Amino acid sequence: MAHKKHGALHSGWRIGTGHFLGLFFGMAGLFHVAFAVASGTADHNKFTQLQQEFKSGQDVTRACLSCHTEASRQVMKTRHWTWEALNPNTNQKLGKKTLVNNFCIGIASNQPYCTSCHIGYGWKDNSFDFTAEENVDCLVCHDTTGTYRKPSGLAGHPVYKQMEFPPGSGQILQPVNLQKVAQKVGETSRYNCVACHSYGGGGDGVKHGDLDSSLEAPDTDTDVHMDATGLDFSCATCHATTGHDVPGSRYTPVAKDRASPLLRGMLGKRNPATCESCHGGRPHKAETMAKIKPLPGYNVVSMAAMVNLHGEKLACQTCHIPAMSRGGVPTKMQWDWSVAGKMGPDGKPFVEKDAKGHTVYDSKKGAFVLGENVIPEYVWFNGEVKYTLLGDKIEKGEGYVPINRFGGSPKDGKSKIWPVKVFRGVQPYDPVNQTLVVPHVYGKDATAYGANFNWEKAVAAGMADAGVPFSGKVDFIKTEMLWPLTHMVAPRAGTVACNECHSRNGSFSEGRMKNVPGLKKGPLFKLAP
Amino acid sequence: MKLHKPLLIGLAASLLGAPLMARAYEGDWKRGNVYYRMVCTECHTSQAGGAIGPNTRTRAEWTAYLQADKHAKGKDSLKSYVGKPYRASIAASNKAAAKFADVPDEELYEDLKAFVARSAKDGDAPTGCR
Repeated sequence: MAHKKHGALHSGWRIGTGHFLGLFFGMAGLFHVAFAVASGTADHNKFTQLQQEFKSGQDVTRACLSCHTEASRQVMKTRHWTWEALNPNTNQKLGKKTLVNNFCIGIASNQPYCTSCHIGYGWKDNSFDFTAEENVDCLVCHDTTGTYRKPSGLAGHPVYKQMEFPPGSGQILQPVNLQKVAQKVGETSRYNCVACHSYGGGGDGVKHGDLDSSLEAPDTDTDVHMDATGLDFSCATCHATTGHDVPGSRYTPVAKDRASPLLRGMLGKRNPATCESCHGGRPHKAETMAKIKPLPGYNVVSMAAMVNLHGEKLACQTCHIPAMSRGGVPTKMQWDWSVAGKMGPDGKPFVEKDAKGHTVYDSKKGAFVLGENVIPEYVWFNGEVKYTLLGDKIEKGEGYVPINRFGGSPKDGKSKIWPVKVFRGVQPYDPVNQTLVVPHVYGKDATAYGANFNWEKAVAAGMADAGVPFSGKVDFIKTEMLWPLTHMVAPRAGTVACNECHSRNGSFSEGRMKNVPGLKKGPLFKLAP
Repeated sequence: MKLHKPLLIGLAASLLGAPLMARAYEGDWKRGNVYYRMVCTECHTSQAGGAIGPNTRTRAEWTAYLQADKHAKGKDSLKSYVGKPYRASIAASNKAAAKFADVPDEELYEDLKAFVARSAKDGDAPTGCR
């Protein structure tokens, strides 16, 4: 009866209650769509392929590929997938797959842990199938929910079933809702890139010095380009990507970009992530100089010319990145593996933390020195980098063995002075074969250093996995590794001041440039009184 | 009973549209992150004795806290620190408040909820203060 009455009320519209409700639910649906599709042209929520329960990441990828037919083949050509890169200048095969560093050292025998940052599923050992398209992980770069995580030890898989992680910790990880994540995929954001690139070396900010989780939502002082309340650049704004190939790798760096600003759409083979690709080679204009106090004897025009002249010899980053780790997250500056293995009073491994709660000693890893707001070191750099690879002869001496060497000199015409993080370590090596080694450090098996604290066993397992000879002897050697700094660009007010390099007597013997060779002394370089 | 169609449509929209919109809005945790860090944390650090990391509480604790709407141990409303008048009052010195000046209060509150849920001690991505 009520229905009839209600229907009679709306009889003039020739619709009944069902239609009426339908209209309103339709409105609700429209509102929902309006919010769900904030940008982009596809609402993945609507795709029938994604309206299923996914049991694994590979299941999701199969669904993605049913529309994005070429995506995995594109990804498979990139370093994100191969973890290999051939440096055309040195013919060295680089990439995480083969390189040794002085952080966690290398991936051989440690694959399930390291490959939590691989753009794939299932790289647990050398049998991983690099040709299987369903092994490509679409979600790690395209998740917008912030719920998709790949914990260390799962060989690049997310959590499918509730699990305790780390084992024995009492912390329970819930499975990822793959359907929800898949239905909400979108463009990559800073969060996707930061999830791996800021956590290299085993933790937040550890490796680079200019990449850490503060770049998820940085303020102006931390990064003037990525400032979440300002320009709000994503990583891809500079690392302009085509066909899933992200340009701007540190394995093929550009130290001196002489070209004019890059017209977008005219990428070619040029690296779009250099400063010059947007700002050009003479970025300081008279009108910009008007905002700062000119030096005595200069007007805004001559001031701009003088500052631009610096660009002939200095990378933009040298002045515009005054310090690394400025976002409140410390970076690791030293790692000493040789002191690992100490046990606590209870005979068990232990962890020591500093006042801020950062680990400075771990029985399984050794001792660390951390730093925040660290002033970089400076080197001449022409873009050539030569790595010490596994199997290369090294010699133990007083100094540090370079993990990588930056080419460059004040006279080659190709170099600029670059700011770098110099990461120093003490790591295991083979004193008989005189080579760096990869130890099996992670896991709970019989050879893992973190479980048995036996270097010989750990190195034997790692080197066997890498297929490189090992004498059976282990000693420790001091090493250093250079990391060019290029993120965390400060705003104008935070740049390096003149007197931080120049002195009143015209020499560079004090201040930031004191260790840079080939800098002349003379009246031209005197700091104005 | 004689009612004009436009009137009924308007009524329907006002009665059902608003709640439906509110229900449909899903918090933007990224925007919530920016507001949490640049407004909440900034003020707590400079004026309230220290920042509170999202990972210092569980999701349930955050949910209860946000629902209770009590700030500073009940001295004032938490929502007032997310509302447009508050944002306007600090916009000159706070870029996040300025950037989100026109975001509806309910949306920004949902954004914050989404962020703390994600970043809580037992959330998908526990996050400390930076």
